[in-house]
Amino acid sequence: MDPAEVEFLAEKEEISVVPNFTQDKIYLIGGDVGPFNAGLPVKVPLWMAINLKQGQKCRIIPPDWMDTERLQDKKQEETDSKFFTEMPSPHFMEITQLLLKCATDDIPHADEIRTLVKDIWDLRIAKLRSSIDTFLKSDATHAKLNYLTLMELNTARPFLTKALDQMHLLRSNLSGRIQSTQE
Amino acid sequence: MTSESVDDYFSISDILTTQERLPCKVELPIYRLGYLDSSSTSDDLQPGTKLDLSFWMARALCSRKRHIVSVEMPRPYREGYREILTADANVVDLHKLGPYYYSYGSQLLKFELPETADVAKSLIKCFQTRIRKIMDSSQNAYNEDTTKLTAKLDETEKCLFKAGQMGLNDFQRWETRQTEKLTTSEMVRSHRKRKRALMDDS
Amino acid sequence: MREPIFPVYNWITVRTGNTQKCKQNKWRELVKNIIMSEIIEYGEENEEEIELTAAEVLQQLEQAWLNEKFSPDLLECKVELVECMIDQITEMEENIKRAKKGDFKISIHRMEIDRIRYVLSSYLRCRLQKIEKYTTYILEQDKQRKEEEPCKLSQEEFTFAKEYAETLEEHLRNVALRHMPPNLQTLDPKQTAVKPNLEKYVFMKVIEDTDGVLVEEETLDTGEEIVDLQKGDQHIMRYKPIASLVSSGAVTLI
Repeated sequence: MDPAEVEFLAEKEEISVVPNFTQDKIYLIGGDVGPFNAGLPVKVPLWMAINLKQGQKCRIIPPDWMDTERLQDKKQEETDSKFFTEMPSPHFMEITQLLLKCATDDIPHADEIRTLVKDIWDLRIAKLRSSIDTFLKSDATHAKLNYLTLMELNTARPFLTKALDQMHLLRSNLSGRIQSTQE
Repeated sequence: MTSESVDDYFSISDILTTQERLPCKVELPIYRLGYLDSSSTSDDLQPGTKLDLSFWMARALCSRKRHIVSVEMPRPYREGYREILTADANVVDLHKLGPYYYSYGSQLLKFELPETADVAKSLIKCFQTRIRKIMDSSQNAYNEDTTKLTAKLDETEKCLFKAGQMGLNDFQRWETRQTEKLTTSEMVRSHRKRKRALMDDS
Repeated sequence: MREPIFPVYNWITVRTGNTQKCKQNKWRELVKNIIMSEIIEYGEENEEEIELTAAEVLQQLEQAWLNEKFSPDLLECKVELVECMIDQITEMEENIKRAKKGDFKISIHRMEIDRIRYVLSSYLRCRLQKIEKYTTYILEQDKQRKEEEPCKLSQEEFTFAKEYAETLEEHLRNVALRHMPPNLQTLDPKQTAVKPNLEKYVFMKVIEDTDGVLVEEETLDTGEEIVDLQKGDQHIMRYKPIASLVSSGAVTLI
């Protein structure tokens, strides 16, 4: 899947915005949003938040995890743990990218956040690579991948699935072969 | 890649794989094909003649039902080479041993030669050992010439390398927001060129 | 054919709180009715009735889209979901046409329509790609389908598949086969049909707890492997053992 499609899915996540206009509920096909009261926070899907922000119709309230201290702790936790830790959002990478692009002025310490999120991403990708290696070298035929986010899985997808398909072919060579000599 | 779909009749790599040659020995006289053996002047291929045949032909002449020729494991799959692969598969130029090392190896197992099980095991082991290097090199090369990195890989491995590159490149393009810029599609561009060439010709 | 598309729900003219609510509810009712009538139309009496809101339909369509994208095999076509969403979009576009120029809601609605349209076309296109690739196999499977089993293809897809198969066959005959020796002028579909590789690895997420899934059959050197799938878990495994769970919705591909 194209990463832009993963981002598309992330844009369905809800986020709080403070609108500078007043407006009744909007009845979207995907569900109602609003009502909007100028100055009062309201939850909207991310794609809409970005659209409003671009039209200078709102201020975006960053999610609570998008905070230097929380991300520092998260980074530490990810460094200390041998396994993948649970991320505060299943779309942390995409949300960070989108918000830092279009709403930098609404996010305190934007640059630091960018670096921290990237650091966490890099840590996790390195872990992912060594897990893939261990997995492929083992005799395991399936694996549990809890706490990996969709963007992470998607980056590993082309290589990992093809490598496993190939492993399966080579393995079935062997078992097919043993079976046929038994016949 | 062969794993895209099983037994794809139209797969080019499958066709190329099955036309690799292997050493065969004629067991029954084959009439009027003597010219296949350039060292003989006889009209017929005599029993005992050794010659290399394409896999698909050898397969038709050597099976449980038919035994017109007998086959031998091609050298890259024999014990000597298997030992080299066991010692350190990472340094071997697999492409040189056969551009379709794994898929051809898998096909050869159909002959049920005595060393078949060992070959099957060796293929798995070899793949498992080399995979890390392929993954790492595919993930560390961004925007550079990769011919050197893939020179020693067989076709299956090259496919994997490309898959790894795709995962990386797509992500990097997204991260640097290059996906947002619309570009002329390759087809439209070459179409225009073709049109221009046509106009220039006339 | 199905007669009524639900009456115009005009979001622009609705102003007061009360009517709004009432219209909204009415509108939901209508969506439900549409879905139910679809099911009655397609399924038989023993089919359960499912009530869905437009938002739920959209949610299911997105699910179907991702499943189709990642499954190596062609899944059952969600005709009802597609048609319902197309109706919703058409309806909304009508409303937009009638709206006051410059109403800022228009841009929001347009954006949502674009998003839904993307999912719809990507879903249908992905199916067409599979149909083109596995035409013979898919048509053959449909022939062998038992009467009570649902057809995997929509009416339009079925027509497309048949025409595509004919065109392809004719093309191969013109380009190659007729130049072959007489005994090699036919293609045996048994040999030449391209089949999807159901052994391909996929990522999936568990929606409903499912115990005792046989992931690996017993071979001589390994025993059989059975896993219990717990809600919320993510796995990577071969498609085949979980194919039926994808269809039933117990797991979803990611």
